[in-house]
Amino acid sequence: MTVAREQLEADVLIVGAGPAGLACALHLANLIKTHNASGAKPELSAENIYVLEKGREVGAHQLSGAIMDPRGLADLVPDFEKTAPLDTPVTDDAAFFFTEKSAWRFPITPPPFKNRGNYVVSLSKLTKWLGGLVEASGVNLFTQFAGASLIFEGPGIAGVITDDKGMDKNGQPKDNFTAGYELRAKITVLAEGARGSLTKQLVSRLKLDNLNPQVYSIGVKELWEVQPGRVQPGFVAHTLGWPVPFEMYGGGWIYGMQNNRVSLGLVVGLEYHDSLFDPHEAFQKFKTHPFVRKMLEGGKLVRYGAKAIPAGGWYAMPRTFFDGGLIIGDSASFLDSQKLKGIHMAIKSGMLAAETILEALVKGDAAAGTLAAFPRKVEQSFIKKQLWSVRNFHQGFQHGMLAGLFNAGLQQVSGGRGLVDPIRVHAGHLALRQLNGRKPPAERFKGDGKLTFDRLTDVYHSGTRHDDDQPCHLHVLDMNICVDRCVREFGNPCQYYCPAAVYEMTEERGERKLKINFANCVHCKTCDIMDPYQIVDWVPPEGGGGPNYEGM
Amino acid sequence: MKIVVCIKQVPAKDAPLAMAEGGAWIKETDIGFEMNEPDAYALEEALRLKEKHGGEVIAVSMGPERSKQAIKEALAKGADRGIHVADERFYTLDPLGAARSIAAAIRREPGVDLILTGLQSDDQGFGQTGVLLAELLGLPHATIIMQIDVADGRMKLKRELEAGWFQWVELPLPALLSIQSGINKPRYATLKGIMAAKKKEIVSVVRAELGVDEPATQHIERIYVPHKSKKTEMLTGSPKEVAAKLVEKLRREARVL
Repeated sequence: MTVAREQLEADVLIVGAGPAGLACALHLANLIKTHNASGAKPELSAENIYVLEKGREVGAHQLSGAIMDPRGLADLVPDFEKTAPLDTPVTDDAAFFFTEKSAWRFPITPPPFKNRGNYVVSLSKLTKWLGGLVEASGVNLFTQFAGASLIFEGPGIAGVITDDKGMDKNGQPKDNFTAGYELRAKITVLAEGARGSLTKQLVSRLKLDNLNPQVYSIGVKELWEVQPGRVQPGFVAHTLGWPVPFEMYGGGWIYGMQNNRVSLGLVVGLEYHDSLFDPHEAFQKFKTHPFVRKMLEGGKLVRYGAKAIPAGGWYAMPRTFFDGGLIIGDSASFLDSQKLKGIHMAIKSGMLAAETILEALVKGDAAAGTLAAFPRKVEQSFIKKQLWSVRNFHQGFQHGMLAGLFNAGLQQVSGGRGLVDPIRVHAGHLALRQLNGRKPPAERFKGDGKLTFDRLTDVYHSGTRHDDDQPCHLHVLDMNICVDRCVREFGNPCQYYCPAAVYEMTEERGERKLKINFANCVHCKTCDIMDPYQIVDWVPPEGGGGPNYEGM
Repeated sequence: MKIVVCIKQVPAKDAPLAMAEGGAWIKETDIGFEMNEPDAYALEEALRLKEKHGGEVIAVSMGPERSKQAIKEALAKGADRGIHVADERFYTLDPLGAARSIAAAIRREPGVDLILTGLQSDDQGFGQTGVLLAELLGLPHATIIMQIDVADGRMKLKRELEAGWFQWVELPLPALLSIQSGINKPRYATLKGIMAAKKKEIVSVVRAELGVDEPATQHIERIYVPHKSKKTEMLTGSPKEVAAKLVEKLRREARVL
């Protein structure tokens, strides 16, 4: 269907209102104010900065542990401690090794797990607050609008097409059909988070890949309200070991928050071998560990979520500048894979992008040559220093936890170099091994309904909502592979890695079929990353759809 | 036509609700709010009437500061201006108290031709505020409206009755109508609409200053999560036996036969 699209023009278009995108917008608005006040030409306006956010409101799709290193925010909003919704400062940090029945506390908390000076925050709340500042600065912030595709022009891009709204499940326009806009901008900033759908298109088309392909982990999280006194606010624990098998990278977290709330979750590297591995189930088991169970007993699940985390670090960073745009935040791999911290770098990268953009706007030139100032600024900031010191960290774990910890130790004393530098890796899905006679489990994990839950109960608690009557946003490019090869070779791992029960193999009149319950999708992107044949293409659904991570 | 649409902001449908201290309302921190869905149909109907007959659409909402967001959404979709009746303890009002306050705010607007409300709110669901409002303003009203045809200062209205029956009624203007949910497909806010909304006016009036502080006639004693009382019993046996058992149960236990 070809549709007539309305055109709009902006100076700067930022896709994604997460920490990176909002920091970029806010800092740029501040810079423009100073620029205009100095009487410099050309006069610029914050109103010509547009931010698109696919969530129903700012913060709705923000999911993280989260422990925030305040460095980035302190640069962006110097008096943030007065007004930002920081839940609680970290008061006690501990690292544990779990076996099924016992927990062993590291006598000295290893440096990567040290968190004094950091804050436990709800990233959703923090982002919502930041969104308020951005709107107050005059920037146009549009929620419920997704970037559906890029406008490629010349050697770069010239903006995005926003999502078509009001299409039925067969792709036919409904009564209230509203075509997406052709949103043109001098500079387009991709701040989509991990595995952004536009970033994916762009990196592949302009060949922006680095030495290593990006690799990811998946984080599965629940927010609980527990009995008073069980977990102190500011208590931060990280765990290694059970229930994550030894040949896999992964670990758990437990953070005490105010009002008896506890954030807990499990992170697993998306480069595991077992195609029947179920990260959601592993997380549910994690909660049955005596150490965790004791904290949660008598408490109540408040919220659930899951999201991919970019773990590739420095060597997986795509080229971040191109004609007409920049890539920032998680989309650009600005995340410390050792500490699993990226909020401060996302914010900083947004600010450095803003400085680059101001120069480009003043110069009236948004070609790659001008925007190349961005990575130079990154090189001179704390981002480079921090990412460089852990440049081989995650790759060191590709042969399991033991080798990884050994490598990490060596890297720690050699400034990140370790034995091999750079360690090269393959994309995570290539690690999946074929079934070779292994049988899928007869039954899926059900949970007891109190401490542990099945996936649908958890999805309900993610607040996820999509209009059912719209085209499926999970494009499986060749469904024959699912029922023909995948079932035989890998046992349809989509049924297991998806933490939201989106993919379901069904049998109708003796015929196997893949059923896609797209309305359950929590936008974690794991399917796009982990599908062994790379035939799943995650595209944004109608804007406003997706989880509601309020308070997460 | 000068059309007023009443819009309530209610907790998001998927909000994880928790009881507030005292148990008479929910904790409003940490949950999201959205435009009451039935009101979205009323808004759409108002916008369509304006497109057809000209005039203006005024969105009215009452509640704490956050409820302005519902007005902004209406403005982004095409309403011309907003009136916000500010009241931090809005949730303690009964439908009559709410209707009195909104009536007082609307009385300040001369020459209103039509007031539209949703059928009911998704939170408390009294379904009374609209009709009480009509009574207080001395306007005729009709409920559960499926279609509105305006001609020569009168309206021909289709109402939905039970069991697939409809009723056509005629009403003069000005009047108040409560709109049946599903009557239309509400439009999406557009980028241009959202930008234009920033420049539209929202007038705030403090409820306490409207002179409508009569004591409430009702108040909520307690709200609670429904206790599970359903029990499912599986009948086993051959189809014939099961049918016999079922008839027996319907006769003796359910007493419907």
